[in-house]
Amino acid sequence: MPRPGFVLEVDERTPPLLVHEGEGFRLERFPLGTRVIYPPDPLPGVPDLDAEIRRALLHPLGDAKPLPELLFPGMRLTIAIDDISIPLPPMRLPDVRQRILEHVIELAARRGVEDVELIVATALHRRMTPREIRRMVGERVFRSFWPDRLANFDAEDPGALADLGTTDHGEEVEISRRAAESDLVVYVNVNLVAMDGGHKSVAVGLASYRSLRHHHNVHTMLNSRSYMDPREGRSAINDSAVRMGRHLAACGVKVFQIETTLNSETFPSNLGFLNRREWEWSAADQALMVAAKKANDLAPPRIRREFFRRIEAPYKVTGINGGEVEAVHARTLENLHRQQLVEVEGQTDIAVFGVPYLGPYNVNSILNPILVHCLGLGYLFNMYRNRPIVREGGVAILFHPVPWEFHQVHHPSYIDFFEEVLAETTDPATIEQKFEERYATDPWYIHLYRTSYAYHGVHPFYMWYWGAHGRDHVKDVIFVGGQPSSVARLGYRRADSLRDALEMASDTVGSSPSITYFHAPPIMIADVR
Amino acid sequence: MAGWRDELRSMATGFRWGRRPLVPRSAEPFVEEVDDEGFPTDWARTKVGTAARRAILNGAMLPLVRHELSLRVYGTELLEDLEGPVIFFSNHSSHLDATLIMCTLPDRWQRTTAVGAARDYFFDVWWRQAFVALVYGGFAIDRARGGAGAIEKARQLVRDGWSLVLFPEGTRSIDGHLQRFRHGAARLAIDLGVQLVPIAIIGAYQAMPKGRPWPRPGRPPVTVRYGRAIGPLEGEGHQALSRRMRQAVEELFDEDRTSWFEALQRSARGQTPSLAGPQGAAWRRTWEGTRPVPRRSRPRAWG
Repeated sequence: MPRPGFVLEVDERTPPLLVHEGEGFRLERFPLGTRVIYPPDPLPGVPDLDAEIRRALLHPLGDAKPLPELLFPGMRLTIAIDDISIPLPPMRLPDVRQRILEHVIELAARRGVEDVELIVATALHRRMTPREIRRMVGERVFRSFWPDRLANFDAEDPGALADLGTTDHGEEVEISRRAAESDLVVYVNVNLVAMDGGHKSVAVGLASYRSLRHHHNVHTMLNSRSYMDPREGRSAINDSAVRMGRHLAACGVKVFQIETTLNSETFPSNLGFLNRREWEWSAADQALMVAAKKANDLAPPRIRREFFRRIEAPYKVTGINGGEVEAVHARTLENLHRQQLVEVEGQTDIAVFGVPYLGPYNVNSILNPILVHCLGLGYLFNMYRNRPIVREGGVAILFHPVPWEFHQVHHPSYIDFFEEVLAETTDPATIEQKFEERYATDPWYIHLYRTSYAYHGVHPFYMWYWGAHGRDHVKDVIFVGGQPSSVARLGYRRADSLRDALEMASDTVGSSPSITYFHAPPIMIADVR
Repeated sequence: MAGWRDELRSMATGFRWGRRPLVPRSAEPFVEEVDDEGFPTDWARTKVGTAARRAILNGAMLPLVRHELSLRVYGTELLEDLEGPVIFFSNHSSHLDATLIMCTLPDRWQRTTAVGAARDYFFDVWWRQAFVALVYGGFAIDRARGGAGAIEKARQLVRDGWSLVLFPEGTRSIDGHLQRFRHGAARLAIDLGVQLVPIAIIGAYQAMPKGRPWPRPGRPPVTVRYGRAIGPLEGEGHQALSRRMRQAVEELFDEDRTSWFEALQRSARGQTPSLAGPQGAAWRRTWEGTRPVPRRSRPRAWG
């Protein structure tokens, strides 16, 4: 029986604790009495993955029929797949999406379905390269369908979009025409966190900017508390996605949803100490930690990045469910909470986060300062249910070097956003009002999005909004070890050490604050009571 | 960026290199049970390991013990006609106990005897594990799991002809008095059909009680008294056997205090003095437990 997550209270017996800081990590001594939230141990994987996939397809949840009964000759079948942004790090091969796709396509072939198309549901993310797609779907699927019948979604191709009207809240729903006009959409998802999956899969993954702007905006983000709590009324972004998903169903878009959950085995065995609790490190773990840290510190940046890029997570699949979207997602969330939920008693004055090297938007890329903001204040801060870990008016301390560095191909609009927009203001509402439209419709960014491997021109805005709730909630944000110029551009403060950061924070929260360190990754959700 | 030396120093301090690793108090309920045997000890019971152990015990440990303690050993002749393997058991009040037994065992027994040692105490850091394995032929007993993890290892050792040293109290007495006997040794003896040899170690608590790393100065008197082997009776349960084991140790103490014959008579009348110590306030137990053991020899003219 895997151990549950728990909250440690630092005492004199507690060894230094591991803190991620971008492409590196450090051991940090926390003040006595600091609470440290540890994730649960990894759950065991399903014993027979193929049998589980068959069960999910043949015994669907909700009012869906078994998948074979939905397939017939002459039909249009569209299979949509989550893109490279999940899971993180990319999972060790074979990717679970490949395993599911092979089953679905096998069934379609047996049922005489000819018109099959696969779409990578990138929305406004960058296109995946052929190599990345081949890695994800496997050689057999890739050779059978690429490039004519397997492609990235293009949210800026007017001919490939279908306008399906508006929801009862006036939200425009515009998604992939191929999906909208198919007899059946099978969506193959990997549910890494609670905000993934459900209606978000089709209504967001296959949607255009016209549609996305209704929930990817400052107002919605500020009213999503949190993104990781998709219960109705808690997350405005999820509520909006649900309305759109239900609208799609009402318009006759038939979706067979397949969702998977993974355990928390995030790092491979050669970095196994990153998965373990520090006081349980063996002598070998400690030696490995020292050697890895030293080698990492001494390595040139390019080598360091390559080392981290090659990390593949030995995730195991803890559940697969198929069928009607909402019924499947409810089961998915149960599985996810079994792995990720940790009960935490009360809020804290100061929350400490180690920002790791990887977020959803820098796979095979660079975690630029805007993405650091998004990962820290957008994702890590929002890993809660009920209440944020840190109290309103508290302080967030984040560890990351925040280098002024961008991927020229993947993030061109980020560069201009950082240089132009943030130089003028960091207020999300002002940014939205003054700059968003221009960036979203800029022909050059659209050209790069459609023909190169660039994120959409509006994407850095969404990343900025993503952290809006965290930014609004806390009074001070301090980056330990951050590059002064880039941290200042983000509108935050920096410190050389945790001790300095705590000293700086005392202006806001007094000289004896309560401190909580969120010991992630692996991913978890703090259920704050 | 911190230098190598600083980082290593920080690691060494934080992770208590060379010392017992500690679990933060709030994490204790979440410590994972370990099923594996842990540190390998079989190497210490090979021919080479045994030769090394005997050299250490007889060449270094015994002279050291005799230098620091005024040691007397009685009853080893009772082991002469005994067929092994057997289980040696004794009262346990000091870290000296295992050393005293291993150093005073006759050669034949010393070669083929292994000591059961607490995993949480003796098998925590590598150097202590290696020391216990080499010097005592030690194998780990997981006290947290009632010794269940050690049963299979003990069976295997006995099947291979090894005698065992076990302390039925499970841990050292904090006040010098005999504690409740746990039933692991009795169960093992019944399961394996081996005999149990009682040993009374008298004065070890006064010489080096719990918390003291080295014997008190002045060569305090310590007696190791071996008794006659007892075996499980037909149909006897482990609780009854445990009671007889405890009785055997108490009789040896009585014998040491008076004489063999007097102790026998008192035993026959069921009047062997209990070693449980006085009831009541803790200080009274400690007070009695620390009462100096009288020296047998005539005091030296100059102390």
